[in-house]
Amino acid sequence: MAWTRRLLNTVCARRTQTDIEREIAFHLREREEELREQGMSAPEAARMARMQFGSRIAHIERTRDMDLNLLLDSLYRNLRFSLRSLRKSPVFTLAAVLTLALGIGVNSAVFSVVDAVLLRPLPFPESEQLVELGQANAKSAGNLIAPVRLEEWNRLNSTFEAISGYYQEDASELSGDMPERLRRAFVAPRFFQILGVAPALGRDLSAQEQSFSGPRAVLISDRLWRRRFAADPNVTRKALRFGRTLSPIIGVMPPQFAFPASTVDVWSGAGIDAPYAQGRDLTWFTGIGRLKPRLTLEQAQSNLAAVQAALGKDFPKSDGKLGVSLTPLKDSKVGGVRRTLWILFGSVTLLLLLACANVTALFLSRATARAHDIAVRFSLGASKGAVAGHLLTEVGVIAFIGALLGLLMASGTASLFRRLARDLPRLEEITLDWRILAYSLAAAAVTTMLCGLLPVLRSSEALGAVMNQSGRGRVQGRSKVQFTLVGIQVALAVTLLAAAGLLVRSFLYVGQVAPGFDADNVISFHLSVSWNETGQPDLRSRLERILEGMRAIPGVANAATSITLPGAPTDYTVEFKTLDGPGDPDRRISGQQRYVTPSYFETMRIPLLAGEMCQARAGKPTAVVNNSFARVYFPGETLIGRRLTQPGNAYIQPGEVVGIVGDARETGMHEEPRPTLYWCGAPFQPRVYFLVRADGKPSVVLSAIRYKLRELEPNRSVYDLMLLRDRLGDSYSNARLRGVLLSFFALTAVSLACIGLYGTLSYLVNVRQKEIGVRMALGASRAGIVSQFLMQGLRVALFGCVAGLCLVAAGSKLLTGLLFGVVPSDPWNAIRLLPVCWQ
Amino acid sequence: MGTKRNDILQGTLDLLILRTLASRGKLHGYAITAHIHSVSNELLRVEEGSLYPALHRLEQEGWVRAEWGTTEKNRAARFYSLTAKGHKQLHAEEASWRRLTEGVDRVIRFA
Repeated sequence: MAWTRRLLNTVCARRTQTDIEREIAFHLREREEELREQGMSAPEAARMARMQFGSRIAHIERTRDMDLNLLLDSLYRNLRFSLRSLRKSPVFTLAAVLTLALGIGVNSAVFSVVDAVLLRPLPFPESEQLVELGQANAKSAGNLIAPVRLEEWNRLNSTFEAISGYYQEDASELSGDMPERLRRAFVAPRFFQILGVAPALGRDLSAQEQSFSGPRAVLISDRLWRRRFAADPNVTRKALRFGRTLSPIIGVMPPQFAFPASTVDVWSGAGIDAPYAQGRDLTWFTGIGRLKPRLTLEQAQSNLAAVQAALGKDFPKSDGKLGVSLTPLKDSKVGGVRRTLWILFGSVTLLLLLACANVTALFLSRATARAHDIAVRFSLGASKGAVAGHLLTEVGVIAFIGALLGLLMASGTASLFRRLARDLPRLEEITLDWRILAYSLAAAAVTTMLCGLLPVLRSSEALGAVMNQSGRGRVQGRSKVQFTLVGIQVALAVTLLAAAGLLVRSFLYVGQVAPGFDADNVISFHLSVSWNETGQPDLRSRLERILEGMRAIPGVANAATSITLPGAPTDYTVEFKTLDGPGDPDRRISGQQRYVTPSYFETMRIPLLAGEMCQARAGKPTAVVNNSFARVYFPGETLIGRRLTQPGNAYIQPGEVVGIVGDARETGMHEEPRPTLYWCGAPFQPRVYFLVRADGKPSVVLSAIRYKLRELEPNRSVYDLMLLRDRLGDSYSNARLRGVLLSFFALTAVSLACIGLYGTLSYLVNVRQKEIGVRMALGASRAGIVSQFLMQGLRVALFGCVAGLCLVAAGSKLLTGLLFGVVPSDPWNAIRLLPVCWQ
Repeated sequence: MGTKRNDILQGTLDLLILRTLASRGKLHGYAITAHIHSVSNELLRVEEGSLYPALHRLEQEGWVRAEWGTTEKNRAARFYSLTAKGHKQLHAEEASWRRLTEGVDRVIRFA
């Protein structure tokens, strides 16, 4: 079709130009040759050929104009005509524009998230070379790296430019009026070089400042700089105070720098040479490395594994069984939400298809009404191409306006996602830019093709139909197509609805199971404690004093701490060994490990089934296990009194099991309780959850808790003070995001399908008015006619439902793994959908 | 050679191109000028600069089709050929040209 070729010409104007240049160059050369054959000298021939041809540039331009002018001309004419005819039917235009705006807008919105989170490289130079490193241990879930080993890896490997690492903590900053919680990252040397980012203001950490014995120094985030120091350019003369030490600010990081997390406000040296950091069993670093150019992850993996194997020979006791784990940094940051986002994207694509079907049906109805008009144009000599071009322009105009409106809608995406999924990685990078704009316009173009195709194909038939005036046969034929379109809409809507139903039900299920503990009326919060306090002997008494203070508040029943949150998905599987008693030494015991205070069980209302409650005695740790642990690993044996240890963990001394408690869903509400062992003692990490059970409404004691904490620990900041229920909800925010958004999409889809059905039926009634009139005059009853149309609609809806359910059955595999408590082929789910079909 | 009075009358270039392509099949631009030049007994000479805009316009109208090919000397050139639409157009233009010349002829003879 000449039309498409012209479009190609405009899009690739440069291509046309070089084509023309080549063509003319060929011409000149042929002429030159001919002149030479007539006996002219070469330079003379060249000059003559050029002279005869005239101004080359002018001719090239004129030729190109020929290619473009005609296109622009017809485009302009079509555009004007389309706008005029659309203005004449405002209701139709509005309906079509809104439908497409919704379809394209939602699609662009989700695409902007997919693009920012999944498609774009991380915001570092050559970010595809960045790798997250860990030490792999078959016996433990942790993959943190010992500082000594981190330095050895960096020194001995040959595939990385450099290897570094970091860890984080929440610290109280004391230079202001109130202690303020700031997230701190402690970084090993080479950290900023690996990321390829330099401070926007000030300088990087020096080698002395990286050292344990060197001077203190911190880099701060752009956000903190603006908030606390009003973007003062002389901020490098100021300092932050953590505990008793004053840390001078030496620089400000650029605004878009958000590593290791967007919450981090302060970076300082990790003092990797500290005397306490020399043990090979003490692990707390997450590693990052930058691959040398053109090396693959596999090469780095095998090289680093060889390095670690050599270390295993030198230090068989600590390193013998350690491996290495390498993950592309991007995967480790966004891998967890990949499926959720693609599923959302898939569902909005279905929604866009549905909107297309809807608009196509609208256009078909309109084309019928305008069949006469089109026939007149044909008979006046318009070509098929011209009529098609006009129809496509009309659809294109609508799609374009729809896309612009949709972009407006998409501009609110970031804030919506921020509300629905606070922990979505790279959330701060979601922006509307030319990529999203280009995507929306491309979506509009595809939509134009999709929506325009059927009406264009049909328009040529209109000619014959009008010519022989056999109106009835035509309506029958066309209504089949329109009912098919409605059927497609219903099928797509049902698919979305079923998926949304499954996701929502599985999300609700989280709140409905009996988890083995009681999360109601429990308040949780964090208190800023730093890493170097964890080794201090008075930490336990300090924690105990805080818990006592909590219990003293009227209205508080009990208080406890735990490193993990019960019911929030946390997998911390380790291997245990029995130290005494009968049983073969090869027995593998692997279970969940938890660190709690003895009051945890009473606070969470987990019952003690046998033995006694553990005690937080110094030097002689005790533990309790849950029922599953005893049943699975020690069936028919006495477990109480046995001593267990966790090999390879320097923080854990062998401890005695003193009691058995009830099963609780520690690893997540959606999972059956797993074998679990609880150590009762001081936590080995600063970030612990404080759990406070209120007698009645927890809101009553919230402020009392704050007040008490200020009195007990004036130099620490309290943060994330919230109800355990809410926090559990947050830890399922991915599920919530999927559920909420998919429900919204599904409801939109259903209403679009309803509108589609209504539109098609009312159009049919309209077209067949004459026929109905005749039948009524011949004595047909009103009810008979109404029921005839109704049955027609119901039949289509039913077929759509069945087709949709088939789609669901076929696509439900995509959802497995995202669902808990329901199976994708759940018959109840399908049955619940039926009433919707009978709308 | 230089410019002579026998440059092609405005508006007849399309006709000449279409006619040439109808009788000779696929030709590149240079061959079209050469053909018109020789068939007209060297009476007509296509102004080379206006040939290509014309060819491209005919292409956009859908009367000729263009594609890249190689000449017998193995050079890349853009070859033009007539489409079905072009044939129709040729007949129409020939008819109108005949009417025009007949009319002009009559005026010259009888006026």
